[in-house]
Amino acid sequence: MRKGSRGDKVVRSLGIALPIAIVLPLIAAFHWGQLGWRDLHANYPSRPSGYTQIVNRFGQPCNAEARAISMRWKAADNGVTYWFSFHRKLGGRPTAMVSDKGGRSTNLDNDVYGHIQNAHLQPYVEHGIYGYACRAKRNSNEWSTHAFGIAIDVSSAEDYMGKCTSTVNKRHAPIWQNHNWYWGLAFCDPMHFQYATNY
Amino acid sequence: MKRRHAIVAGLAAGVMASAGVLAAAARTAPNPQPYGRPIGPAMASDTGAGELLIAVVGGVFDDRREAEAANEAVSFGDLQGYYVVPIAQFQGFRQQVGEPGEFALVSVFRTEEGANAFVELAAAFGNEASILPERVRSLGGLYAGLGQEANPDGLGPLLGPVMESLP
Repeated sequence: MRKGSRGDKVVRSLGIALPIAIVLPLIAAFHWGQLGWRDLHANYPSRPSGYTQIVNRFGQPCNAEARAISMRWKAADNGVTYWFSFHRKLGGRPTAMVSDKGGRSTNLDNDVYGHIQNAHLQPYVEHGIYGYACRAKRNSNEWSTHAFGIAIDVSSAEDYMGKCTSTVNKRHAPIWQNHNWYWGLAFCDPMHFQYATNY
Repeated sequence: MKRRHAIVAGLAAGVMASAGVLAAAARTAPNPQPYGRPIGPAMASDTGAGELLIAVVGGVFDDRREAEAANEAVSFGDLQGYYVVPIAQFQGFRQQVGEPGEFALVSVFRTEEGANAFVELAAAFGNEASILPERVRSLGGLYAGLGQEANPDGLGPLLGPVMESLP
């Protein structure tokens, strides 16, 4: 009789604890989804390889399309909100979370950004976030991928150029990579993500 | 019956040969270039000799070594920021900077929009940048970043003089 009542208590406790343990993480994980966010993957351009393909797909460096879409992103460490521009083919298409900016795809401002928020990886997005710039690569006379609006630098003070490891961007790099972005860690530029390879 | 087989086989062989020729021809066809022939990847080292340019200045230094050391310390991330050039290569530069020195950290532009965009970029990286009040005349010399600004036509970089830069 005593054994049975202890068993009943255990079963009752489990009956309360288990649903909470299962349901709470699900609610937490899908709260962005409840707000309407979806990883849409709509209308991504194929990723170019090499300079000529970059031009054929995204136009000449510094063209108007390269800076047509802009977005804000708040750095987690210092609270500064960065505003940067990027190519029309890489975002700006209206979704539940993004207003219509006249863009062609959902890649950067809805899918990559939303995925990072939804996966609770925003604390690893640190200060120094930059996009389009009509400039050459550092110490070079070649056009930077930033001049095409197809490169984003994230956490640039922490994961700076010349560092061949990553401290913070490694947490969300797989999300960028799953959305066609190539990570600059391969050439010791871990802050750099670009929508192109072999350049 | 044998004759019919021979005709069918001949036709099939002919169609396959034609398809092969078409495929080979397609493979050698040039890639379509919807935005024209690529400019670059290397940009021309245009000095804009004789033109009136807008100079954005990041500092003035006594000698080249000092200027280069200062430029190394200025970060524009993975982008090229300033160029180290002798002040003497721009007519009207020395009179406007108001401080002694022979070398400067400079990036020059043909349009105000280009200069302002660079100042904004420098500010985003927390770097000093000031636009000289008057245009300076380029006497040639070292490359100082000309061409790294958008053409007002929206199709690419500005690679030639505009009305305002012509003397």
